[in-house]
Amino acid sequence: MNMTTPIEQREFKIVGKSVKRDDVLEKVTGEAQYTGDIKLPGMLHGKIKRAAIAHARIKSIDVSKALAYPGVKAVLTHETVPRVLHYGSPHPRSASCTKDQYILDHKVRFWGEGVAAVAAISEEIADEALDLIEVEYEALPGVFEPEDAVQLGAPLIHEVGPGGNLVLDPVRVNRGDIDKGFAEADFVLEGTFAGGRPHPAYMEPNVCVADWDGSNKLTFWTSTQTSFMVRGILAEVLGLPLTKVRVLVDHMGGGFGAKQDLFQHEFLCALLAKETRRPVKMEFTRHETFVAGRSRHPCKIWLKQGFKNDGTLVARDMKLVYDSGAYGSHGPGVTIVGTTAATSLYRCENVRLEGRCVYTNTPINGAFRGYGVVQSYYALDIQMDEAAERLGMDPAELKLKNVVRAGDIAPSGHPIIGHGLEICLKHGIDVLDWTTLRGRDRTPDPKRPHIRKGWGIGCEMHGSSAYPGIKEQGNATVKVNEDGTVTLLTGAAGLGTGAHTALAQIVAEELGVRFEDVGVIHGDTDVVPWDIGAFASHTTYLVGTAAKMAAEKVRAAVLARAAMKLQVSAEEIDLSEGKVFLIAEPDRSMTVSEAMGPSRGIPAANIVANGTYEPTKSYSFAAHFTEVDIDTETGIVEVKRVVPVHDVGRVIHPIAAQGQIEGGIQQGIGHTLTEDYVIDKKTGRSLNAGLVDYKMPLSMDMPDIETIILEAAPDPGGPWGAKGVGEDPIIAIGPSIANAIHDAIGVRFHHYPITPEDILKALREKGA
Amino acid sequence: MKRMVEFTVNGEAREMAVNGCCSLLDALRDEVGLTGTKKGCDVGDCGACTVLVDGEPVNACLMLAVEAEGRAVETVEGLQPGVDRLHPLQDAFMRHGASQCGFCTPGILMMAKKLLDDNPHPSDEDIRFGLSGNICRCTGYTKIFDAIKSAAREMEATRP
Amino acid sequence: MRRFDYHRAETLEHASRLLTELGDDTFLFNGGTDLLVEIRERLRRVRNVVDIKQIPGLSDITYNETRGLTFGALVTVGRLENLSLVRQRYPNLRSALASLGSIQVRNRATVVGNICRASPSADTIPPLVADGAFVHIYSRTNMRVVPICEFFTGPGRTVLAKGEIVTGITVPPAGDNTGKAYLKHGRRKAMELSTVGVAVSLAMDDGVCSDIRIALGAVGATVLRAPQAEAMLRGTRLDAEAVRSAADKAMEECTPISNVRASADYRRDMVGVLTGRAIKQALETFA
Repeated sequence: MNMTTPIEQREFKIVGKSVKRDDVLEKVTGEAQYTGDIKLPGMLHGKIKRAAIAHARIKSIDVSKALAYPGVKAVLTHETVPRVLHYGSPHPRSASCTKDQYILDHKVRFWGEGVAAVAAISEEIADEALDLIEVEYEALPGVFEPEDAVQLGAPLIHEVGPGGNLVLDPVRVNRGDIDKGFAEADFVLEGTFAGGRPHPAYMEPNVCVADWDGSNKLTFWTSTQTSFMVRGILAEVLGLPLTKVRVLVDHMGGGFGAKQDLFQHEFLCALLAKETRRPVKMEFTRHETFVAGRSRHPCKIWLKQGFKNDGTLVARDMKLVYDSGAYGSHGPGVTIVGTTAATSLYRCENVRLEGRCVYTNTPINGAFRGYGVVQSYYALDIQMDEAAERLGMDPAELKLKNVVRAGDIAPSGHPIIGHGLEICLKHGIDVLDWTTLRGRDRTPDPKRPHIRKGWGIGCEMHGSSAYPGIKEQGNATVKVNEDGTVTLLTGAAGLGTGAHTALAQIVAEELGVRFEDVGVIHGDTDVVPWDIGAFASHTTYLVGTAAKMAAEKVRAAVLARAAMKLQVSAEEIDLSEGKVFLIAEPDRSMTVSEAMGPSRGIPAANIVANGTYEPTKSYSFAAHFTEVDIDTETGIVEVKRVVPVHDVGRVIHPIAAQGQIEGGIQQGIGHTLTEDYVIDKKTGRSLNAGLVDYKMPLSMDMPDIETIILEAAPDPGGPWGAKGVGEDPIIAIGPSIANAIHDAIGVRFHHYPITPEDILKALREKGA
Repeated sequence: MKRMVEFTVNGEAREMAVNGCCSLLDALRDEVGLTGTKKGCDVGDCGACTVLVDGEPVNACLMLAVEAEGRAVETVEGLQPGVDRLHPLQDAFMRHGASQCGFCTPGILMMAKKLLDDNPHPSDEDIRFGLSGNICRCTGYTKIFDAIKSAAREMEATRP
Repeated sequence: MRRFDYHRAETLEHASRLLTELGDDTFLFNGGTDLLVEIRERLRRVRNVVDIKQIPGLSDITYNETRGLTFGALVTVGRLENLSLVRQRYPNLRSALASLGSIQVRNRATVVGNICRASPSADTIPPLVADGAFVHIYSRTNMRVVPICEFFTGPGRTVLAKGEIVTGITVPPAGDNTGKAYLKHGRRKAMELSTVGVAVSLAMDDGVCSDIRIALGAVGATVLRAPQAEAMLRGTRLDAEAVRSAADKAMEECTPISNVRASADYRRDMVGVLTGRAIKQALETFA
């Protein structure tokens, strides 16, 4: 965030246009290569033996029968793999993580944790061999809820960390004077909130392939958002220099944040390949993506806020407890981000926040779109709606009064730039004619009196980049080839968001060449510049700026070379649409190809430049307006229409940005109404680890979405003011649904998912 | 015990020896070498492996390769009418942002092809119903609906 | 996935013999949409499958006014779903067919397979029970026909003995005075296993209900009838009050359990709601 730098204004030729995404051509023809499509000569298949117990000490493992099984080439257990304590999260050097994982341990901490691995000549044989591994456990008492885990005398899940099953020391944020705030309040609202365990359920199950060459170098294909982090942790744990680990990822089938950890199967795949001296592929079943994947942290929140009768918010006291599952993973980051986010959204000068993150004997929770903020803003936004109700105000009016504005201090500690949220809210209110909408009949269909309608608003803001938790660095290398085409090298992963297209657009725009002339090389840690990973809604903001910087440098070099050839000075010429021309005499020109290629006495040349960018943070904003139908006899809530209004700063690729918003809404509708990965509270066993009983909204369930993107508050930290968009939609949609439900039936829900049973129960209690 | 099986894939005759338990999906990916058809769940819940068998969409994971004997299998790799030409659906998916991560795309394209072959003017409801067995986790489906409607118009305009 | 051997039966006799001779972990393989899932999810140990899809004569669909609708074991859910006869005469069955799995699954799954799996939540069972269908069973020694309500003995269990094979199903004719409906409750509109499914089949003579059968899915060990609720409605004009009382009675007659999909109490509630709605929908035939 840089308040002093003005945002460059220009007539855009490529930025802001929905150019055809190159990567999508391969996807619609079926040629796109995903990690699971790789087949190497002599390749073996790896499988993991998973514990059918949630907390236990392994007394013995007998693998002799499995090893003797025809077709089995290797079996690994905790006795045969390196015992190196490591981070699960890819941000190992960020402030708060604890090294709490071994590749395989003599202890089991959740039902489904891997205890051994097999490599065999076929997947079927590997799978069959798992049954031949005999494990003797000494069962330990398990804890499955954070409130049980923090009791005195509760069984300890880890020997490391601050103790008491805490993943990190409590995160405390204080601003202003909380006591003074409450003393000034005319009324106080207090409530508890709870979030379930939504799962990202990306379509491509986790998969990796490991191959060692004769020089003891590991080539490792994996479906990851953070290939350089995978390289770093793999090298550290395997005791290799970075030159001996090459991580490759071309296309990947979604990640939504969760493909950021370094997973147990990734180590095991590399070790099985090393042991057998053959390439090994390890591919999760769908069941494993739940059990051994990463979900959103379940969260319990206590929130108390003081208001004045004019709607001014004067005090906010909040305690959050995130359930980390059996390992720390992103627990620290999620706790810090989710907790500090609650300093903002709605203005309040006196704030006291406390966030905790607790180990339980349940599957690991990790990074997932909305990273801790989904939970905290759900509570903040719903309580704001309640305050409006108490005041007899329209919630739109109260939210408009309290939303953060330019100059307010953001969670990052910086002043907010622009009035993004206010503009989004106002725009939605106008477009929908909100006041009239609110006045409408809640049972408009006399033939279906059991159907009630409601409308709700949800607000959010979210940072692009993980600053200040992580001081990020974005890198890009741009080369201008001798025929005038341009190659961009980037480490940013292609999750499917269209990030590479946006980066190519930025380079083409800045350099002054056609979009079609820019090629993107990515996904090879031996080739591309170091990258922190694709997360925190930051790729366009962070790497986009680095790419723009690199393009700016090569542009100057191209101009210098053309000037030499045209025998003018570089100040006299300009470059646009692949053509260098004299500013005063535009007909005198040459193409970039002519400038770069050989001419009499001048050999061809290659111009290369790097861009390195270390940003702070920008914030994007959104207000979602949502209409629901509720069947008061079955309790089923149907989202009928969503009008999401987003401020994302400068839009690079409108269709891709809309796609992020619409996909985030789909996931958020699921989180709020139907999706919850359920763990049995007595045994720790997964109860719905599959796509039938884990219920994501599908084509027939999706509402009409009328996406509105405003370039309301461009941030000078991003290319021409561009900001992130990936995570925002999933944060705003949840409270908009909960608030719409209240509007329809007069019942407040403080949790998600809100099930049909919850609706019926609440209606009964209300005496409807 | 392996069995010989012979069927056509995108019009080309293929003969291979497979285990009786080998799914059509694994045979396509591992034996035929066409990896466009994806394995998203292997239990018929996600639709990523949708192919057409004798013109009917099925989950290739829930069919054994030996059952394909003598039948015609169409996969996403056969969708292009010519080397340099895209099927209108493929083009529309590109233009409308209907494919993000792309993992569901091959299955959805095959399902959409079947839908438009049977019903050149599908209503919104027809499209939603037609895709109800294909999970897309990236797009919220909105852009997919747009693309299919656009392709339908395109195909209508170019129909002789 | 674990490996298994595949056997292709040429005749019913051949299939039956394979099923008896190949040992305990041998299963009949028809549409495969349940069996393959159970194998992959390690829910069933399978060493051999016997594919019956090449056996001639099991793919027929016939209808006549006296015998009704008969379809063979190989008839897929999708094929029946798209038959105009089914759409017109058996809207309850049609609704169940169209809500089973996905289009892709329905192109492989068979109705006979769906009933043989004997899941209490199977979509096609309630309408077949409400319509009083019959199951044709082959064995090497004799053929038998079993009323569908006697076919199931528990969750996943049927009266089939080793080597017996269901060859088809007959659904009695649907007279002009009949009304039918099937309503399924799930959290999504497609790709759902039913939380509760209610099928109704009723006959009206001069505005009076001369017969009604109510079948309740996913609220008992097998699909259940609601005989007391039915008795309360026979001879009435099916007015709102009568329907409401009968729906309440159906709630008492079911025996649901709680699981990850829904609680027993909620399922019971839904039996009440759906029974009322299904009767109303069945009556719309006469409107």
